[in-house]
Amino acid sequence: MVEYALRRALYGVLVIFMVTVFVFLALRAVPGDAVRIQLADAPGVTEEQIAERTAALGLDQPVLTQLFHFLGGAITGDFGASFSDGSSVGGLIADRLPVTGQLGLMALAIGVVLGVVIGMASAVRPNGLLDQSLRLVSVSGLSVPSFWLGLLLVTYLAVYAGWSPPLIYQGPAENLGGNLAQMTLPALALGAAAMASIARMLRSSLLEVLQSDHLRTVRARGAGRGTTLFKHATRNSLLPVFTVLGLQAGGILGGTVILESIFGIPGMGSLTFEAVQMRDYPVVLGCVIVYGAVFVVVNIVVDLMYGVIDPRVRYR
Amino acid sequence: MTDRSVPSSAASLAAQTTVPGTVRRPAGRALWRFVREQPFAAAALAVIVVLVLLSVLAPLITPFGPTEQNRSAIQQPPGGRFLMGTDDLGRDVFTRVLYGARTSMLVSVVTVVAGGAVGVAIGIVSGYFGGRWADSLFQRIMDTLMAIPGLVLLLFIAALLGPSIRNSIIALSLLVIPAVNRVARAEMLRIREEPYVDAARANGCGLPRILIRHGLPNLFAPLMVIASLLFAGVLIAESALSYLGVGTPPPTASWGRMLSEGTKFLEIAPWMVVFPGGALTLAVLAFNLLGDGLRDFLDPKHRR
Amino acid sequence: MNTPATTTQPRVPVPGGREPLLAVTDLVKHYPITKGLLRRTVASVRAVDGVSFTVGRGETVGLVGESGCGKSTVAKMVTRLVQPTSGSVRFAGTELTGLRARELREFRRRFHIVFQDPYSSLDPRLRIVESVGEPLVAHRIATGAAKRRRVCELMELVGLSPAHIDRYPHQFSGGQAQRIGIARALATGPDLVVCDEAVSSLDVSIQAQVLNLLKKLQRELGLSYLFIAHDLNVVRYLSDRVFVMYLGRIVEVGPAAGIMQRPAHPYTDALIGSVATPTSSGGFRRSRVVARGEVPSPSRPPPGCRFHPRCPEAFDLCRVQQPPAYRLTGDRLSACHLRAGEAEGVRDG
Repeated sequence: MVEYALRRALYGVLVIFMVTVFVFLALRAVPGDAVRIQLADAPGVTEEQIAERTAALGLDQPVLTQLFHFLGGAITGDFGASFSDGSSVGGLIADRLPVTGQLGLMALAIGVVLGVVIGMASAVRPNGLLDQSLRLVSVSGLSVPSFWLGLLLVTYLAVYAGWSPPLIYQGPAENLGGNLAQMTLPALALGAAAMASIARMLRSSLLEVLQSDHLRTVRARGAGRGTTLFKHATRNSLLPVFTVLGLQAGGILGGTVILESIFGIPGMGSLTFEAVQMRDYPVVLGCVIVYGAVFVVVNIVVDLMYGVIDPRVRYR
Repeated sequence: MTDRSVPSSAASLAAQTTVPGTVRRPAGRALWRFVREQPFAAAALAVIVVLVLLSVLAPLITPFGPTEQNRSAIQQPPGGRFLMGTDDLGRDVFTRVLYGARTSMLVSVVTVVAGGAVGVAIGIVSGYFGGRWADSLFQRIMDTLMAIPGLVLLLFIAALLGPSIRNSIIALSLLVIPAVNRVARAEMLRIREEPYVDAARANGCGLPRILIRHGLPNLFAPLMVIASLLFAGVLIAESALSYLGVGTPPPTASWGRMLSEGTKFLEIAPWMVVFPGGALTLAVLAFNLLGDGLRDFLDPKHRR
Repeated sequence: MNTPATTTQPRVPVPGGREPLLAVTDLVKHYPITKGLLRRTVASVRAVDGVSFTVGRGETVGLVGESGCGKSTVAKMVTRLVQPTSGSVRFAGTELTGLRARELREFRRRFHIVFQDPYSSLDPRLRIVESVGEPLVAHRIATGAAKRRRVCELMELVGLSPAHIDRYPHQFSGGQAQRIGIARALATGPDLVVCDEAVSSLDVSIQAQVLNLLKKLQRELGLSYLFIAHDLNVVRYLSDRVFVMYLGRIVEVGPAAGIMQRPAHPYTDALIGSVATPTSSGGFRRSRVVARGEVPSPSRPPPGCRFHPRCPEAFDLCRVQQPPAYRLTGDRLSACHLRAGEAEGVRDG
């Protein structure tokens, strides 16, 4: 187990390294000179200024030298400076990451709570009316694009309740109510797929357990279906939750790009989107690497958690 | 050779030729079995067929053109002449949903087929050489692509290449390739241990023949399942790209673009986002149900 | 790679002194076992650990042993489906082990293999005409109508109806499917056919039919067989000479009849004891010896004679010294210390 964890972690580091190299080289392979694109709009820019700026950014060096320079900095947390205002990319990400972290965790929490409730409710009377309608909800949840769901929620609340979420971000410490008012809808939209996935898996694993001989005996002795269900649901929901975390982490992380833009949340997603639009390559580079790193770490944690939850899982 | 006693009587051929049976299994019967065993997936297949027909026959169905602007009818609510209302330029939403289906389906088909072909090629070669250097090299590249959350990778690549339908397809393929590769490789790892692959090598077959003649047909079933599920994912991803303004460029109708144009008018013209999003969700749902149904149909172990 | 002591490996002179069709010398296959973070090789499974034998033209050589003794690995190395770790496989005077893929493919038309499970060795998605005709296509011998004609001939040769060539494997019985496997092996007119447990998965009555077919084909086509099985009765029925294998090595060699009547190695004794011999067929064998316990792991073969932990007649020498191949009367070899007294000599490596 320890050896497996170590090997997994080492490979994770390797993958993050490969992501870094891939993104770095992809950015350098783009046609067009980053400095020219950046200075293109400014009036009266001379060739000397362009050369000076290029040298200042180290863009006149060979690509491999630039790569080693970047890797050297990245190890110490220095991802370079933004093209647009010269602020540190590491600093920008440090500001934005907690916001996205909150959004992602809220999405996950909503998905888990709703998913477990729906999964349990479905299993009480399989193929009953409640089960059928809840299954419809969960199948749709897997297919609804999160950004459309977000738009629908806003539209619905605006048209029928006359309420719109605030568009100016407030930190949870500043104004918890305002913060949650802004974050809850995107979190709900992001968590829908996880909810659907958990509900489906929990339902089928509960039905399997409930049909086992052991539980038939327990219930024959007089325990009610509801009580047995509840007792086993808690234990059996852990595995689906982590499976789904592994499956949906990519969707939730990727979804933040679009939902943060819709809801005006200043997290990693909107930072990435803005940087991509502005062709602010150092910021794009830092953001993609951080997204990749978070994703890799989540996957490693999920893999290792399997072994903790279910001792039957054996690692190669 | 010395003649030794025969353990039992000599071979009687007639006794062995006992298996009759049909030479060909008609495709129609398999389809009928699918309809009976997986009614939801069959219904989903019907929905897909209808969607494809509607989008292909769009010019016959709607009197409007996809970019035709009716200055006198701006942001009309659904009903009357405009089944799904009109947008801020007076274009018929229903018409644009139909033409948007063309764009989305076309991009998705090309992506799944092209990306799928590359993914299968890498996957079967990797799987056949499982554990050797060619496999390791390919898999490290795939792991790198899969380590970046899908939409982030998509946005990154599409923005680098610039917004166009061709570039969307390239970017979307980078999501399809690793997913298909994973399935194809796992199947090929299994297939290469099959004695019929040893037999093919003993027959004198070279690598291409083994992979194409023996590999592909035997991994076709799981490929259909993953292709169907990926199609659903690509539909969403394509719309997300267009929504972010780095996918299908205007004025081509695409569901993602329509959603982003409607976002500004959520409160006054909600039909501008409800209908294109609804069409997208319906299509995604249909492909997801079809994929799930195919999986259960082809693998009895998955049946719930 | 460590080359095992070759002195113990029996080599049998070829009857008639001609060059044998197949000459296998000191064949070794080790599979590494890796461990730890860096995947270091910590040990190896010695699947085949120095095996030598020959197959003459028109001869049938039997290779017998329990499952896991390495006989299937030998079959795959002889047909170059598995690359040997070391050793030599000479086919009609040409060394096969070093050949490049293209050169090897030329040779493949001269030998083929029949597998144990007739169904899994036929691609379930291919019609019979495609499976049986594949060697013809691969070697550019025939395609299209010519291929169909040849496949029909082959079907008749193995006693199946040519009318069935457009069927799929699952539409045939096990015995029929194995005939199809044989037809495929014969497609290019090979000199040598390796039968790797070719009848083991069939019912006893079907086994006999297929064995008779193999015998008939040998007579008509002048084939050589390397016939591999775990069942000595089956091997005896077809083979001129028999090699007995245990844990990656050959322990006894001799003419089929001689080995059955008078085994010269306790392991052969045990093998015969484990075979249900029909009482009616003259030479009834009593199960004198029964091997104790399980086969040891080939990754950690016991020191000395590999059979000693299970051998009822083992003594001190067996535990420390690997027995050489003692030459006995009647073209027999035995790698057992008990035979030292009657040996006419030791077969040198």
